Amino acid sequence: MQTRQAATGTVSIRDLRKSFSVGRKSIEAVSGLNLEVGRGEIFGLLGPNGAGKTTTLRMLATLVPIDSGEAMVAGIDVRRKPKEVRRRIGYVGQLGGADLPATGRENLLLQGRLYGASGSDASRRASELIDLLALGEFADRPARTYSGGQRRRLEVALGIMHKPEILFLDEPSTGLDPQNRANLWDQLRGLNEAGTTIFLTTHYLEEADALANRVAIMDHGKVVAEDTLLELKRRVGGGTFVVRTALPASELEDLRAALANLAPISGAWLDGEALRLRTSDGRAAVAAVAAVAQLLETRDVPLAALSLSEASLDDVFLQETGRSLRDAGQNNAETVR
Amino acid sequence: MSFAVETQLLFRRKMLELMRQPVWIIAGLSSPLLYLALFAPLLQALAGGPGFAGKSVLDVFVPGIIVLMAFGSGMGAGWVTIIEVDTGVLERLTVSPASRFALLLGTVLRDVVWLIIPALLVIFVAIPLGFHPNPAGTVVLLAIASLITAMVSAISGALGIKLRQIGSLAAVVTGLQLPLMLLSGILLPLSLAPSWMVVLAHIDPMYYAVEASRVLANGSIVNGTVVTAFGALGVLTALSLWWATGVYRKALA
Ligand SMILES: Nc1ncnc2c1ncn2[C@@H]1O[C@H](COP(=O)(O)OP(=O)(O)OP(=O)(O)O)[C@@H](O)[C@H]1O
Ligand SMILES: [Mg+2]
Repeated sequence: MQTRQAATGTVSIRDLRKSFSVGRKSIEAVSGLNLEVGRGEIFGLLGPNGAGKTTTLRMLATLVPIDSGEAMVAGIDVRRKPKEVRRRIGYVGQLGGADLPATGRENLLLQGRLYGASGSDASRRASELIDLLALGEFADRPARTYSGGQRRRLEVALGIMHKPEILFLDEPSTGLDPQNRANLWDQLRGLNEAGTTIFLTTHYLEEADALANRVAIMDHGKVVAEDTLLELKRRVGGGTFVVRTALPASELEDLRAALANLAPISGAWLDGEALRLRTSDGRAAVAAVAAVAQLLETRDVPLAALSLSEASLDDVFLQETGRSLRDAGQNNAETVR
Repeated sequence: MSFAVETQLLFRRKMLELMRQPVWIIAGLSSPLLYLALFAPLLQALAGGPGFAGKSVLDVFVPGIIVLMAFGSGMGAGWVTIIEVDTGVLERLTVSPASRFALLLGTVLRDVVWLIIPALLVIFVAIPLGFHPNPAGTVVLLAIASLITAMVSAISGALGIKLRQIGSLAAVVTGLQLPLMLLSGILLPLSLAPSWMVVLAHIDPMYYAVEASRVLANGSIVNGTVVTAFGALGVLTALSLWWATGVYRKALA
């Protein structure tokens, strides 16, 4: 058994379950989840829409009662001592949580005081965060008037106002432009270096790539893969390449099916206007390129671009579930061979 | 952080919210004055008739308005909780270590304050028009009205969390309001009513409040009617606060 001290900043989940009943139907949102997050890690939970990421986070943040299983946050049993857990965590929900009639600064001050800071400490910390997250220009107007990205930054500031030991972030960079996203990532890395464990969910592969030391990929309430990004990508093996043609969208599916049947190709799926192809192992890549080129030639399809790409989290997801991360959200799994 | 400080912080948040919505303020102040301006004159014709024996019409009517205002002041709480569920504010506040009861009280106390201020306005406006309040009685009357506001505010706020939809909330709240108000004899004394209505009125907590408010505004304080009203409303308000705190506690599952 870990001691409380040793467990500072850790999250440990065993066989966690949660079902919701809607009318007479029961939806199993989280079905037997196991995870370990170490102190000082940035841990990313990925998965398609409805995978159960938010529900998991909400259980850990004491917002949703746990049906069964064990969840320890900072070494504290979430089911037994939710109040102690609350003191040690920060939580930035998917919905946000900025109080819209109040100004950004008022939001921060109240948050600080509810976590026990004195008025002057809260005010000092609020100014610090206003600088850190570049909220200065609008900190003193009602949050109702903020743009989506400004609001998101305020919400992140609210989550870290009390310098939590563990920070839970549900899709932190939703609605941010690339520059503010990069900015936020910098802040999160800084926070992490200062000792905060970060547990985040995201849809953005780049976000996990940019931030997370370790990720778990979740699907239908379960973890389907969990490792460092490097290791997960290595496990995919093979190569991925992207083929762009001048074909109209209506004819792409036909081409995809034909490509999927080529011997060196282990998977082919549509990715917008492009086709993504995977080979089973790296050495097959050269043969695959030749085969693809030949097929296009015989079908008289003009090739616009063909590029080799590193395995992405999408590939990992495909490997583990047989579905593309992008498609899984729309329950659209039929594009995979 | 002590419970008292938490409550005070959350109450302040709600007061600021109110003060930034001029529309709420105008609506809150104008509707009781409209009752005085546009309804009270109709009653003048009834002066001296049954139910008004020997009293000024306003002595019967003004306490009724105040009870009506008490209900109205608490009713809106649920609309705001629905918005706060949707925007995640309530979720954020419930992840904080703040007491759930303090969260509830922030809104309830604001609504009580926002009952008392317009109620005082109505009383002062009504005096030159022929209302004869008894000062001590008026204080007790405002206390009874505050209990009603607290009860309604807690119930409405919790229903907002449970129902999550403005349409359903509006249906439930106004569906409750109408029979409770009509049976309480707010607008006209129930002594004008047929006996079956009087019997029904006795299961309406508002009835006791209205009866007591009429005795209080112009007469004795220690009186059976007043004690009954305090007892009934005190118990109901406590139950409502307790139930609503439970809803906040389980709130966001
Ligand atoms: N309060 C609720 N009542 C009923 N069903 C719910 C509730 N919350 C979540 N669910 C269901 O549980 C499943 C998991 O939802 P969850 O919000 O955890 O997914 P997610 O991985 O966060 O998805 P997204 O990427 O879209 O945010 C979904 O099928 C969802 O419909
Ligand atoms: Mg989610």
